[in-house]
Amino acid sequence: MRVFSNDCSFSYSWEEVSTANWRKYCPWNDKSTHVIAVDTLSRHVDPDSGILRTERLITVKQSAPKWLSSLMGGSDTSHVFEISYVDPAAKKVTMTSSNMTFSNIITCHETVVYKPLSDNKTQFLQEAKITAVCGGWQKIKNAVEEASVARFSENARTGREGFESVLEMSRRVFQNEKKEKERQKAIEREQMPQVEQKLMA
Amino acid sequence: MYFAMSASIAPECNEKKERYDSCFLKWYSEKYLRGKGTEDECAPLFAKYKTCLTAALKERGIDKMLDEAREDHKESDLTNMPGRGR
Repeated sequence: MRVFSNDCSFSYSWEEVSTANWRKYCPWNDKSTHVIAVDTLSRHVDPDSGILRTERLITVKQSAPKWLSSLMGGSDTSHVFEISYVDPAAKKVTMTSSNMTFSNIITCHETVVYKPLSDNKTQFLQEAKITAVCGGWQKIKNAVEEASVARFSENARTGREGFESVLEMSRRVFQNEKKEKERQKAIEREQMPQVEQKLMA
Repeated sequence: MYFAMSASIAPECNEKKERYDSCFLKWYSEKYLRGKGTEDECAPLFAKYKTCLTAALKERGIDKMLDEAREDHKESDLTNMPGRGR
């Protein structure tokens, strides 16, 4: 088993990060193009804890190294099952996921946590346990694990970059929307007296 | 603000998914995170999306794989939802 871990922070509030996280793999993220679909399978708020529990299916299309690809039957599409928990009181997002495809070759269990470091800084903690379960020599297993960790690490790096773009766009769009609302209100205020004047006449 | 979401595995569900996702994101940021969350307002949109998705997953044989994955994740609720399993 290999463990991949990653600890970084985003210069945005936890609220912004946890909201943008729902669309981490939207078109604004031009780095993580290997994630081709994200579907929500179930979602509910736990009445006792107030925790929002979500199940998602993540579909990935990414070609493996040639020698590994034959082991995977030549398919380059895989699925990941994810359960996430948002605790708004504790300001904590926890996401756990594992691969559904190729699980007879390798298992990858990932946990991601988002927690606030300050009002405008959020911590991202990621840990993945990668284990080759295929038969064969230890040498092959080691090679499979190493290739997987390398790929995982590369995806984590591009994922971070891509998420930065999503965060930036989310903030910009939100600010524009706020401005637009204020502008509308100002117009309404300006027009009000005129309407009243017309009514008086 | 609430456009730009990821695609669905089933293109025929994309429109329903987009409607639901938009509703959810608005609810999440404007209500749930501010402690005013009842999730029901997006439930009708989710139901429509889910009907479409469930059929698509069954067609692709992914539904059975999901059952196994859920089984695999059983402990996750115990760790992450306090009060569960006691």
